[in-house]
Amino acid sequence: MSLLNDLFAKPLEPGYEDAAARRRAAGEKPTSERTWRSPALALGLVALGLLLTMAVVEVRNTASVVSSERQGLIEQIHNEDARVSRLQDDVTALESEISELEDSLLQNSATGQQTREEVESLQATTGAVAVTGPGVVVTVDDAEEQNAEDGTDRVLDVDLQQVVNGLWAAGAEAVSINGQRITPLTAIRQAQDIIQINYRPMNAPYEVSALGDSRSLANDFAHSAGGRWLSSIAGKNGIYYKVSSHDSLTLPAGNTPLSYATPGEGAS
Amino acid sequence: MIPLAGLVIGILAGLYFDVTVPLELQPYLPIAIVAALDAVFGGIRAVMEGIFNDKVFVVSFIANVLIAAFIVFLGDQLGVGSQLSTAVIVVLGIRIFTNVATIRRHIFHA
Repeated sequence: MSLLNDLFAKPLEPGYEDAAARRRAAGEKPTSERTWRSPALALGLVALGLLLTMAVVEVRNTASVVSSERQGLIEQIHNEDARVSRLQDDVTALESEISELEDSLLQNSATGQQTREEVESLQATTGAVAVTGPGVVVTVDDAEEQNAEDGTDRVLDVDLQQVVNGLWAAGAEAVSINGQRITPLTAIRQAQDIIQINYRPMNAPYEVSALGDSRSLANDFAHSAGGRWLSSIAGKNGIYYKVSSHDSLTLPAGNTPLSYATPGEGAS
Repeated sequence: MIPLAGLVIGILAGLYFDVTVPLELQPYLPIAIVAALDAVFGGIRAVMEGIFNDKVFVVSFIANVLIAAFIVFLGDQLGVGSQLSTAVIVVLGIRIFTNVATIRRHIFHA
């Protein structure tokens, strides 16, 4: 503590006292009262002013550089976002053109009609087209107070996987999460605490919409493995969830690009 | 009034010449300023107590700035740069406060 005490008791450089004492001992009068004219003090203040200005100018410069860099990045992000949605629009337009052409080709014959119906039902199952119908919405959200170190009071990818599987098991015919249709090729996975569905980052709350018999679906889901999983994490980790029935839900079309699989020769 | 004029001249010179600090020295600039402030306030107090001494002031000014920068440099090399900066700022901050309080008492007699 003596160091700190010294610091408080003798904040002045001891050198001043010593020098004054030496002069007194040598019989000289200590420096005249209030020597504001000392060139050393003036020089010291010039140096201080210079240092201060340099530091302030430096900080301002770096701040402007950093903010302009960030501005550039933000602009780039916006541009790329706009490009992606433009391309997405193109894709949607081309897809609807394709299905129109298919329709007009198949309408002409009886077998064509039959094929068209088959294709439509297959498209609905695989998530290639948007579908509408009655169903349930399961809303899942992180716990209100999050203090678990391992993050179990947040919704994890495995929770959403369980919910989706539970809904399929309960007889759902189409499922989507926050507007992303779950297709046979959809992955629900987590990267750096962010859940990605169809490689798109999602934020809580997660709204899992499922089409099916709105009277039995909710009940069947509650008794499925997914429903039991949900109620168990709700009790254990405070995860919030709610199941509500709706008369009419619309699920968007999903994206199922097949890169490797092609319909074979013997396919019927 | 001469010291005050010196400060103004220093600030104006900094603005006018637009000096840039070399990148390697930038982390030490704030610490150097705090050390310089400490020396300057110590000098002003010494003047008011009638014991000012040119040599002591110059030596304490330069030594303060260099030692403070050196401690931070050492800390950076050892990976505890920010902690040592905090230590330097606490010590010099206490001295600046106490000295300024004494100067205030000399000026206002309160």
